[in-house]
Amino acid sequence: MAKDAEKSTWKDFIWNSRTREFCGRTGSSWGLILLFYLVFYIFLAGMFCLTMYVMLQTLDDHKPTWQDRLGTPGMMIRPRGKAMEIAYNTTNTETWDMYIKTLDNFLSPYNNSLQAEKNEECIPDQYFVQADSGDVKNNPKRSCQFNRTFLEKCSGLDDHTYGYQAGKPCIIIKLNRVIGMLPGKDGQAPFVTCGAKKEDSDKIGEVEYYPENGTFNLMYYPYYGKKAQVNYSQPLVAIKFLNITLNEDINIECRIISNNIPPGTVRDKFAGKVSFKLRINTKG
Amino acid sequence: MRYTTSVTKGLTSSKAEEVLERDGPNELLPPKGTPEYVKFARQLAGGLQCLMWVAAVICFIAFGIEFSRGTLGCFDDLYLAITLITVVVVTGCFGYYQEFKSTNIIASFKNLVPQQALVIRDGQKNQINAMDLVVGDLVEIKGGDRVPADIRIIFAQGCKVDNSSLTGESEPQSKTPECTHENPLETKNIAFFSTTCLEGVATGTVINTGDRTIIGRIASLASGVGNEKTPIAIEIEHFVDIIAGLAIFFGFTFFVVAMFIGYAFLEAMIFFMAIVVAYVPEGLLATVTVCLSLTAKRLARKNCVVKNLEAVETLGSTSVICSDKTGTLTQNRMTVAHLWFDNVIHAADTTEDQSGQSFDQSSETWRSLARVAGLCNRAIFKPNQESLPIPRRIVVGDASETALLKFTELAIGNMMEYRERFKKVVEVPFNSTNKFQLSVHELEDPMDLRYLLVMKGAPERILERCSTILIKGQEMPLDEQWRESFQTAYMDLGSLGERVLGFCHIYLNENEFPRGYKFDSDEMNFTTSGLCFAGLISMIDPPRATVPDAVMKCRTAGIRVVMVTGDHPITARAIAANVGIITEGSETVEDIATRKRIPVEQVNRRDARACVISGGQLKDMSSEELDEALRSHPEMVFARTSPQQKLIIVESCQRLGSIVAVTGDGVNDSPALKKADIGIAMGIAGSDAAKNAADMILLDDNFASIVTGVEQGRLIFDNLKKSIAYTLTKNIPELTPYLIYITVSVPLPLGCITILMIELATDIFPSVSLAYEKAESDIMHLKPRNPRKDRLVNESLAAYSYFQIGAIQSFAGFTDYFTAMAQEGWYPLLCVGLRSHWEDVHLQDLQDSYGQEWWVSVIEICQIADVLIRKTRRLSIFQQGFFRSVDVDSMEQMSLTPYIQSYTPCYVSLTILHVFPLGQWWFVPIPYGILIFVYDEIRKLGVRRHPGSWWDQELYY
Repeated sequence: MAKDAEKSTWKDFIWNSRTREFCGRTGSSWGLILLFYLVFYIFLAGMFCLTMYVMLQTLDDHKPTWQDRLGTPGMMIRPRGKAMEIAYNTTNTETWDMYIKTLDNFLSPYNNSLQAEKNEECIPDQYFVQADSGDVKNNPKRSCQFNRTFLEKCSGLDDHTYGYQAGKPCIIIKLNRVIGMLPGKDGQAPFVTCGAKKEDSDKIGEVEYYPENGTFNLMYYPYYGKKAQVNYSQPLVAIKFLNITLNEDINIECRIISNNIPPGTVRDKFAGKVSFKLRINTKG
Repeated sequence: MRYTTSVTKGLTSSKAEEVLERDGPNELLPPKGTPEYVKFARQLAGGLQCLMWVAAVICFIAFGIEFSRGTLGCFDDLYLAITLITVVVVTGCFGYYQEFKSTNIIASFKNLVPQQALVIRDGQKNQINAMDLVVGDLVEIKGGDRVPADIRIIFAQGCKVDNSSLTGESEPQSKTPECTHENPLETKNIAFFSTTCLEGVATGTVINTGDRTIIGRIASLASGVGNEKTPIAIEIEHFVDIIAGLAIFFGFTFFVVAMFIGYAFLEAMIFFMAIVVAYVPEGLLATVTVCLSLTAKRLARKNCVVKNLEAVETLGSTSVICSDKTGTLTQNRMTVAHLWFDNVIHAADTTEDQSGQSFDQSSETWRSLARVAGLCNRAIFKPNQESLPIPRRIVVGDASETALLKFTELAIGNMMEYRERFKKVVEVPFNSTNKFQLSVHELEDPMDLRYLLVMKGAPERILERCSTILIKGQEMPLDEQWRESFQTAYMDLGSLGERVLGFCHIYLNENEFPRGYKFDSDEMNFTTSGLCFAGLISMIDPPRATVPDAVMKCRTAGIRVVMVTGDHPITARAIAANVGIITEGSETVEDIATRKRIPVEQVNRRDARACVISGGQLKDMSSEELDEALRSHPEMVFARTSPQQKLIIVESCQRLGSIVAVTGDGVNDSPALKKADIGIAMGIAGSDAAKNAADMILLDDNFASIVTGVEQGRLIFDNLKKSIAYTLTKNIPELTPYLIYITVSVPLPLGCITILMIELATDIFPSVSLAYEKAESDIMHLKPRNPRKDRLVNESLAAYSYFQIGAIQSFAGFTDYFTAMAQEGWYPLLCVGLRSHWEDVHLQDLQDSYGQEWWVSVIEICQIADVLIRKTRRLSIFQQGFFRSVDVDSMEQMSLTPYIQSYTPCYVSLTILHVFPLGQWWFVPIPYGILIFVYDEIRKLGVRRHPGSWWDQELYY
C-alpha cells in the first residue's frame, strides 16, 4: 500500500497530469524560471567577457605584469629523451637516430647562414641593451648571432651523429628565457657545470663544454620577449662526454653558476639546474 | 510473617545481608546509556564523514600506486588523505566533546548526597544508607523525610505524604495502616519510594526496593518510550543525504566523462575524489554544532539548560506547549487571594514580591478576622530567617496554614510574638469528620479574664455553628439575608477556583469558664456553637507574574498553550483564565449551555473556543474524539489528569502534526517527557527521572523561560539557514574549477588541500559569526514553521546559493584566475588545453604567451582562485548581514556588527594562507562583489515590495 502511494507520488512529481506539472512546475512556471536564469547567465557571461576584456586591455604586449615567480630560471636539455632519460645502444642505429633528428631540428635555426642573415654580430661580454626612449618603442629589437659553429664538436656539422655513434654523446643545455633577465653581474657571464650524482662521480669521465667553459655570453641578454625580439637566438651550451662508463645508468646534474641567480632550494628540483639519466649500451 | 521480619524488632542483620545479596542495592539503575566508544564511533560515521573516508581511501590508493611508480608529487595525495582523516577525526572529537559536555550538565544534577534511612534491625534503631535497605526491613519515617523504598505502613500518626511526583495529586495524602483499596496507588497503607513525608510519623515494612518499586517501574517505562528524532536532526539528515547524493552523482559523472575523454583510470579516480572533497561542505557539521552550542550557552544564562543541543531548534519549531500548572504557571505556594468580610470581597496582594495593591484594613472586622486567622493556625516559621522576605521564608505546616501565616505576618507583623501574647490553652486539630480546627486562647489584656475561642474550617460547617456575624466590628444576628450574601460570596470565591475557609470566634463566658477551667480537646467541654462569624478567606496558588505575558507571546507566535494538570477543573480553569490560556470572552460548551439555558448536548461544539476536560471524561474518550476536541477547541485545559493521560494528550497533539513541548516534574511525567518532541523538566521541583527523560531543564521552573527558549530556537533556525546558504554557496566556486580543469584542461585553479583549508580554517569563522545574528524583530509574530513544508534547506535556498550567488562567485573566480594567469604571462586562450603540459614534470621549459620559459613549481600561482573566493565571500557576507526576511523595513538594521564580525576572521585567514603571495589579485573580483551586493539588494527589494509574487516565491528562501 505505502509503496504504491510512494510510487504514484514519484510519478506525480515527474508528470502530474492533473495539474499539468512537470517536476513540480507547470510549463509557464518552467518557462519563467528558465527565462530568469537565461537572462541571469547572459548577464553574468557578459560581465565576465567585459571584465576579461578590461583585464586584457591592461596587459602590456611586451612584458608580463608580474614576474615574481621567475626569480630562478629553470634549465633544460636537448635531446630530452624519454622522461629525462637518454638511453641508447651504439650498435643499434635506431635507438639513437631520434636524438640526432631532435638535435638537427633544434639546431637548424642556429645555422651560420641563417644567423648572419637575421641577426647581427654584437660586442661580446656586455649586455645588449636596446632601451625604449620613453613611449616610443624601439621595436622590433635586434638579436645577436649565436652561430651553430660555436658548439664546435657538438654542432653536428663535422660529426653528423653528435658523437652518439661513438659513445661520446653531446647534450645541449639551455637556460630558460625570462624577459628582462640579466644574469651575471660585473661582467661575469653565467656558466654551466655538470657533474654526476655522488655514487656515479667516477663513472662520468671527462666532459668538454662548448663554447669554452660552458658560458652563456652576456651579449644575449636581456631578452625582450617573443613579440619585440622575433629572431632572438637563445644561447646554448653543449657538453660532450668523452669517456663515460658504458653499460651503466649514470645520473647527471647540470647547474647554472652565476653571481646573481640565487641557487634554487633543495626542494625545487628544477630551479637553476637540470638532472637527467644517461645510459650507453654497447652490447647487442 | 511474609517477609520473615518482626513488627517490633525488624530483620536480623544477617538476613538483611542475605536479602541485599539477592536483590541488589535499593537504588534506581540509571538507564542504560550508549557506550562511550559507540557514541564516538557514531560521530565518525555520519553520511558526510563516510564520503570523506572514501575520499581518503582513494587518496591512499592513488598514493600507493603513484609511489610505487615513483611519480613526482605523489606525496600530495598522502597529505590530502591525512588531512581528510584529520578533518573527520577532529570534527568527530568536537561533536563528541559537545555531546559529552551536555551529558555532564545532567550528571551534575544528580543528587550525590547519599540518602539516609532509619531502620530497625535486631531490635535496634540504626541510621543506614538508603541504598542498603532490603525487602522486609522495618523503617521509620517522619515529616520531612523522603520515603526510602515502597513501604507498607504498619503504624502511623498523622502521617501525610506528598505523592505529587508520582501521581500528580498536589494534595498531601494521609497514610494509615488500613488497606483501603486494591490498587496499590490508591490504598492508604502504602507509601512510595521517593515521595516525601510532609508531617507525622510512620513505621512500615519495606515491600519493594530499587527498580522494583513503583517509581522504578515508571522509570523503566520511560526508557521504553522511543526517543523521537529531533526536527533539526531530520533536517540535517535530509540535507546531508541530498549533498552526499549530489556529490556522488557529480563525482561519478565526471569520472565517466574523464574516462571518456581519455584520462587514466587512476586520474579519473582522483577527479572523483577531488569533486567529492570540493562538493561536501566539510565545515558544515562543525558550524551547526557551534551555532547550537552557542545558543545553548545563551539559553543556560537564561535558566534553560539544554541537554541535547538539537533541542534548541526543536523548541523553535514548537507549535504546542503542554504545560503543567503547579510551579510552572503558578508560584507553587498557596497565597491568600481574597477575603470576604463586611459583606464585601476584598482582593489580597498575590504577587511574588508583594508589589501589588492591598485592601482597606481599617475595619474592625478585619482585625478580628486576622486575629482568628493568626491564632487558629499551627504553622510556624523555621527559626533564623529574619533576613529573608516573608514570602520566601520556610514554614513548617500545611499549605493553607502557611498561606495564612504569611498573610497575617505581612498584615499585622510578628505572628510568633503575637501568639505569645494570646496564650494557647487548648487546641482541636483539623479532622475530616469535624472539618474544622479550633483553639482557645487567653486574652492579651491580663485584666480581661475571658477566654477567646477561635475556629476555622469549611465555610458551610463554620456557618452552621454561628448565630451572629461581625459587620464593621458590630455583632449582628445572622439572618437569612446574611446567609444569602454568605452563599453568594462563597460561590463567587469557589468559582475562582480558590480554596475557601470560614473563620469565626467567640469570647467564652467568664463565669462559665473561669481561669483554670480544664478544657478537654477530646470531650470538647466548651461552647462550639452560637459563634460569631468573622469572614471568609480564600487561597490559591497564584500565577507567576511573568506568565500571562509569556502566554500572550506564545499566542502571537502561533503556539498553543495547553494546560495539563492534576488539579481540580475549577481551579485549573481559573488559573487558565488568569494567565490567558483561556482568553477573555472564550466560553466552554458548558458556559454556552448555561448562558443560552439549553442542555449541553444541544450546543454546537464548534462555538466554544475553550474546553476543560477532566481526567474522568478523558478516560471515556476515544483517541479520535480527543483529536477532534483538540482540533475544534483552540483553548484547552486538561484537569485531574493522570500521568498516563498526559502521554495520551501528547500523542494526540503529535497525530495532529504538532511539534509538542511538554513540561513536567514528576517521575510519572517521564514517559510523556520522552514522547514529546521536546521534554522540559523543572530544575527545582523536578525529579531526577524527569530530568533524565527531558531534553531541557528549566532552572527557575518558570514558564516564561520556555518562551525565551522558543525565541532562541527560532533565531537559530533562521541563522542556520543563513549559515547553510553561506556554506552551500561556497561549494560552487570550489567545484567549478574542477569542471574547467577536466573539461577544458586549464591548469588546476584550486587544489583539494586548499579547498579543505577554505572550508575548515577560513570560512568557519564567518559561518559561525552568522549565529550571532540578532533576531528579526518579528520573529515571534510568525507562525511556527511547518516541519513538513518549511525545510532548513529548501529548493529556493539551494537554487539561490548554487545557481545565483554560487554562479556569480564562480565567474568571479574565473576572472581572478585568468587575470592572474594573464598577468603572469599566460593568456586565457593559451591556458585552455595547457593542463597536460603544465603537469608534465619533465617539461621544464614551458613557453608562455611572452616567450618566457617556465619550470613546474610555478603551479602555485593557480591557488589564486582561493583568495578570490574569500574576497567575494567577504562581500557576500557583508550583505548576508542584511539577509533579513521579507519585512525588514529598517535598513539601518544593517548594523556594522555582523560586518565586523565576519570581516575579522578574513584577516585571520589571510595570515594562515599567506604562504601564497597573491596580494596583487585581491581586488580583481571586486566588481563581482558589488554585483552580488546589488543583486541581492534587488532581490530583497523585490521580495519585500511584492510579497506573494513570482519573484517572492522563487527567490525568497
